[in-house]
Amino acid sequence: MGFWLELIASGLITGGIYALVAIGLNLQYGLMRIMNISHGEFLMLGAYLTWLAHTFAGVNPLAFLPVVALALFGAGLLVYRLCFRRIARTSPAVELIEARSLLVGFGLMYLVQNAAYLVWGADLRGYSFLAEPVEIMGARFTGNRLAAFGFAVAASLFLIAVLRWTLVGKAVRAMMQSPAGAQLVGIDTAVLHPVVFGAGLALAGVAGGLLSMVYEITPAMGEPYTVTALIVITLGGLGSAAGCLAGGLLLGVVEALGMHFTSPSLKMLLSYAVFIAVLLARPKGLFAR
Amino acid sequence: MRLATALAACAIAGLVLAPAPWLVSDFALSLTLSCLMYVGLAVSWAMFSGATNYLSLATAAFFGIGAYVTAWGHGTLPYAVAVPLGGLAAALFAAAIGAAVLHLRGAYFAVITFGLGELVRHAITYGEKTWARTVGRVISDPPATETVYLVVLALALAAVATAAAVRASRFGLALAGVGSDEERARTLGVNTRLVKTGGFALAAFFAGALGAAVAVRWTYIEPASVFNPFIGFQTVLIAMVGGAHTLAGPIASAVVFSVLTELLRLQFPYAYLIVLGALLILLVLYLPGGLASLLERWKWRQRHA
Amino acid sequence: MPEPVLSARAVTVRFGGLVACDGVDLDVRAGELVGLIGPNGAGKTTFFHALSGVLAPDAGRLIVGGADLTGRPAHVFARHGVARTFQTPRVFRDMTALENVRFGMEFAGRSRVHAHDAFDDPQAILGFLGLGEAAAVPAGALTPARQRLLEIGMALAARPRVLLLDEVAAGLTHAELEASAALIRRVRDELGVAVVWIEHAVRVLMDQVERVAVLHQGRKIADGDPRAVARDPAVVEAYLGEEIEPQRLAA
Repeated sequence: MGFWLELIASGLITGGIYALVAIGLNLQYGLMRIMNISHGEFLMLGAYLTWLAHTFAGVNPLAFLPVVALALFGAGLLVYRLCFRRIARTSPAVELIEARSLLVGFGLMYLVQNAAYLVWGADLRGYSFLAEPVEIMGARFTGNRLAAFGFAVAASLFLIAVLRWTLVGKAVRAMMQSPAGAQLVGIDTAVLHPVVFGAGLALAGVAGGLLSMVYEITPAMGEPYTVTALIVITLGGLGSAAGCLAGGLLLGVVEALGMHFTSPSLKMLLSYAVFIAVLLARPKGLFAR
Repeated sequence: MRLATALAACAIAGLVLAPAPWLVSDFALSLTLSCLMYVGLAVSWAMFSGATNYLSLATAAFFGIGAYVTAWGHGTLPYAVAVPLGGLAAALFAAAIGAAVLHLRGAYFAVITFGLGELVRHAITYGEKTWARTVGRVISDPPATETVYLVVLALALAAVATAAAVRASRFGLALAGVGSDEERARTLGVNTRLVKTGGFALAAFFAGALGAAVAVRWTYIEPASVFNPFIGFQTVLIAMVGGAHTLAGPIASAVVFSVLTELLRLQFPYAYLIVLGALLILLVLYLPGGLASLLERWKWRQRHA
Repeated sequence: MPEPVLSARAVTVRFGGLVACDGVDLDVRAGELVGLIGPNGAGKTTFFHALSGVLAPDAGRLIVGGADLTGRPAHVFARHGVARTFQTPRVFRDMTALENVRFGMEFAGRSRVHAHDAFDDPQAILGFLGLGEAAAVPAGALTPARQRLLEIGMALAARPRVLLLDEVAAGLTHAELEASAALIRRVRDELGVAVVWIEHAVRVLMDQVERVAVLHQGRKIADGDPRAVARDPAVVEAYLGEEIEPQRLAA
């Protein structure tokens, strides 16, 4: 009992983070057709900010999360203004927006990742926070993993609620369904696009902050999360935040089970196999009707 | 006529560049080799992706497959067999995945080609660990540098000549039709599925053969180094900067970037990549047609002045 | 009567719950000039998509020149001699007008022949359409009306046995329209190519064709001589509330 609980729960914990990273990317792609391949780099920045605050100022990482979110939101506004706004305005076709934003994303990935190497070096960094094990129904977890899971799921649910019940959320959903129609009823893309882009990066930053409590961090840590986020989006369906949450948790559990019963070195192979199988068999997502 | 010019230019370039191993320093030779490798990669990438607007990120995968054909065949397969075999293996792989994923467009196609490359890398890593009980392979007694150089030169020139011939052919016209409006091309009688798969496989052949040819220069082959995504990104960057819809653009920009990389990457690895990233962003934002579009604009002004 | 060159049997196309084409039959014989009309949303363009293989019908059969092509991809239809234009012109924007026409000849038209060679030269086709001097202009730089003409040229170059025209008149001046109508008649007369012609401007079409079929809510409600069709109560009913009064149909 304890063994299975531990295995599945550890999958869910990783999956919660996956969901959080994927939701932001999914919103950006669903709304603006921006495939921001540098998404994970902003997760890495969130992780380093939290590490800096904890190591040099003794700030509680969980209390620092709102600051990380705000900082990354600001970074998102800036990146949107400097890069993606121009692409959206000058590309004659959606396909070109996709292709160009993908290339800009690669540029940002080089830029941000190597800047981080330059500033913080390639060493693993980390700190100890809530590292004491907690026992629940015979299964043992460290406190930081439970906290990371709780906050990741809470942040995901918060965003889903925002999308479902607030005016901004309705505007975003309207825009995804019919950009022209949404503009006709007075939804302003000039405000909505940067805000959603910023929100996406803020979620990535929060995910990074949570990860820094659990794992050691490096400038290269973001890249795998971008790929995982793409897999989760494929599972959950384009533009669907709730699909992302379900897809993220599912992928986390599949990975945990797969790694346990085969071998840890198969982790990436498993995720890619799931990704490609889903993309070929159900390109609209597992939960699409 | 343009085809004849391009083929003549290839022949002249071959004659000029062939004696290099006996004339220039080791450093200059290795620099030329790197230029030639990227010329071959970028030109063959542009031949398919530039014409069709299917942004492939699978170059690193094709390259790595070719390299592993060399690694596995080392000691049994002669170099002259391993190189075309590496190309064929990559082309077969491309044809197989192309048949499955070439109905996806835009970012999805780009991401899945990247994902498939990573899948191959992880599969080889796992397979080598499990069955061969090794993480990498040592290339002992590689062919002479002169041989490798001449083979890479031949491959690069063959890539350029093939790209020129494709541009002048019906096949090239069909690829351009796919890039411009795929459904329209179909309604005018183009079997787009076949054309896309064929173009993708042809481009993959050159990447795979180059991987197989260059692999012997590394004494130690491991998945992380031969499936290095940097090779793929650099190829895309070079082709896009030069102008992926042209032939000369990627060639010129391959030379510039290879020289820059060789000179700067070792001394300032991080700063170099930061500059590369910034450059890519600026180019996509302000010169999406690549450097070749500057030249075209200038020529157009000359004519209409 | 000769064998039909294009035969649609009970063609049905559904989009989710919506039935865009509902068991439509249509036989087109060599040298026929058939108009296809219907109110907005009647399923005309969807029917064309099915006829040209762009969409596979959910039910029914499509026979081109005696060969059953149901469910085959669009390029097979093109190679069997079905050529078409699109409602919003779709040309290869970066290629010149001449290259656009040559494209049709290089692929679908390559394995086919016309009755005689008047339409075998891309430049001549452009000349017929009044686009002779635009041969070297990138197609994307032409006005939408001229892109529409160019599409007819691309379709002709494919050496079709049946030509599907989805709106020719939109945006054309009266003189340009006369010229393209004359060209379409000439293609029909000289080459024996069958033409199916959708037009939103019903009157223009009625002047040009000898037979007209009417689609309404996905079903074919009339098919025959234009004068008789215009007086058909079902057709009048279908057009009530549209901007064109039934009297003008008969005019």
